[in-house]
Amino acid sequence: MSSQPILRVENLKAHFRGTYFGVSREVRAVDDISFDVERNEIFGLAGESSSGKTTLIKTIAGLIRPPLELVGGRAQFAFLPDAPTIHQAAPAAVAAIRWRHLSYIMQGSMNVLNPLRRIGATFRDFALPHLGGSAGAFEATVTAHLERLRLDPSVLSAYPHELSGGMRQRVTIALATICKPEFIIADEPTTALDVIVQKDVLGMIRSIQREMGSSVLFVTHDMGVHATLTDKLGVMYAGRLVEVGATRDVFAAPRHPYTRHLIHSLPRIGDVTQRSGLPGTPPNLANPPPGCRFHPRCPLAMDICRTVQPAMIDVGPGHRASCHAISEGGS
Amino acid sequence: MTALIEAKNISKTFSRGGVFARRRIEAVKGINFSLEEDKPEIFAVIGESGSGKSTLARMILGIHKPSGGQLIFQGQDVDKIPRAGRAAFMARVQPIFQNPFEAFNPLKKLDFYLTMTATRFGGATSRAEADAASDQALRQVGLSLDEIKGRFPHELSGGQLQRVAIARALVSKPRLILADEPVSMVDASLRMSIVNLFGDLRDRLGLSIIYITHDLATAYYISDRLIIMRHGEVVEQGPAREVLSNPQHPYSQQLRAAVLSPSATLETITPTH
Repeated sequence: MSSQPILRVENLKAHFRGTYFGVSREVRAVDDISFDVERNEIFGLAGESSSGKTTLIKTIAGLIRPPLELVGGRAQFAFLPDAPTIHQAAPAAVAAIRWRHLSYIMQGSMNVLNPLRRIGATFRDFALPHLGGSAGAFEATVTAHLERLRLDPSVLSAYPHELSGGMRQRVTIALATICKPEFIIADEPTTALDVIVQKDVLGMIRSIQREMGSSVLFVTHDMGVHATLTDKLGVMYAGRLVEVGATRDVFAAPRHPYTRHLIHSLPRIGDVTQRSGLPGTPPNLANPPPGCRFHPRCPLAMDICRTVQPAMIDVGPGHRASCHAISEGGS
Repeated sequence: MTALIEAKNISKTFSRGGVFARRRIEAVKGINFSLEEDKPEIFAVIGESGSGKSTLARMILGIHKPSGGQLIFQGQDVDKIPRAGRAAFMARVQPIFQNPFEAFNPLKKLDFYLTMTATRFGGATSRAEADAASDQALRQVGLSLDEIKGRFPHELSGGQLQRVAIARALVSKPRLILADEPVSMVDASLRMSIVNLFGDLRDRLGLSIIYITHDLATAYYISDRLIIMRHGEVVEQGPAREVLSNPQHPYSQQLRAAVLSPSATLETITPTH
């Protein structure tokens, strides 16, 4: 059991399908993605806007609503052993694992808390059905948990607008972690925060994850955050995973040209060498380029890249990348 | 040595509430800085949200009146510009906003904005003149009018759209560009090309740019001088690379320490208390 990953994603495909004015359109936002998340690790997911990061985690969390459709593949959680994929599990079983085993730290803490309810009421709404017990015992659990996140228990009687952005984000982290879930999905939880607050919040996610031994799927486009926080890193480009491996290895030796660009274009204090942007623009997922989706912007593009989709190949222990330049022997 | 823009002890206080429970919020408290006329530079204003950097930007654009102090642009008090001189002032000081998707009306074609700016502030009197001015500005940012004409904002990527926003600001041939977080909404793969474009505009066109940001790494990369603001006050100022390499004020040091970079380690971000 312990050797089994907590989440196994295999060939997952989820597309947006819609018909606009009689023309059907398919946006392949998640296209054939496979990776594992082990217990007690932070798996980072990087990629720019419209690369399909948020669609991927929604699909993994089983939150599929039209026009999004599951096209193929599976996402299996270790705590749902009877279902080969979360999408086939009984709705009651999925409802039972939510918050208790699988929780979600959402993007934009400003918008997820009900502005008309005090924080304490929000805690009761979300967590009381899962934790059970008397009101007094629940109160004590919540207070102890808030202290762990260095929040004063007085926030329970506050409304969301009375708290600062950093405090609200800590409240959403407290909400997501109160039931000690085994798996936490975090979607850009620090993007709207200032650098000092961001560092604080990241440190908190890290320490609470270590304390509870949970796994975290952490989505952000900020490579600096990945470098500091995550154990493993998956890089997405245009709906596909292009590179995955231990964060340390990926940063030390990125193999896909897109990953290499993301890492090398980061400006650093103390380094004045010229950085550049990539030419071209991210592709339209309704009509992606044939072959490797990165080829129109790739400095290494060859003839084969324009026609054949590169497969994921092993480039090191636990490190995979999909690029024809690697299989050709170059780098 | 004449100043392009000079802030003399400017401050801004907002009042909230009625007669009772009246609250005064000091957003900007006595800020001084000046940019030279003949020395184009990128001047970064760094600070967390609520530090007063956007209020400062609005005062420079003449949207807010300073509650105290003076803001002098090319020898003229911005606050005392007569209504008739407003357009001429706006032609010389142009803004670029944070989110290009919000800055453009999705139902209007992009060349509309360029033509509008050319006729209102650029002195173009005919369609042909406006088109020529738009095309020239677009070429400064690596685009052309042929690529943009008749297109709607959703047809372009964030990076391209931000380039169009910069081109729009260039149409009226400004002396000063005020860019409020111009790259925070731009995709990572395109961010550096926008930042490099600012450096290029400074070197090639001799524009001065006030670059408002909370990203210390790009400020270090591109700006010449910077001020660090906190609670409406300047806590540290000086040459960008000097200040960021060796910050003196405790707040600047805290900011510097919070910058995440590939060389930072997990231990450095884990809270110790």
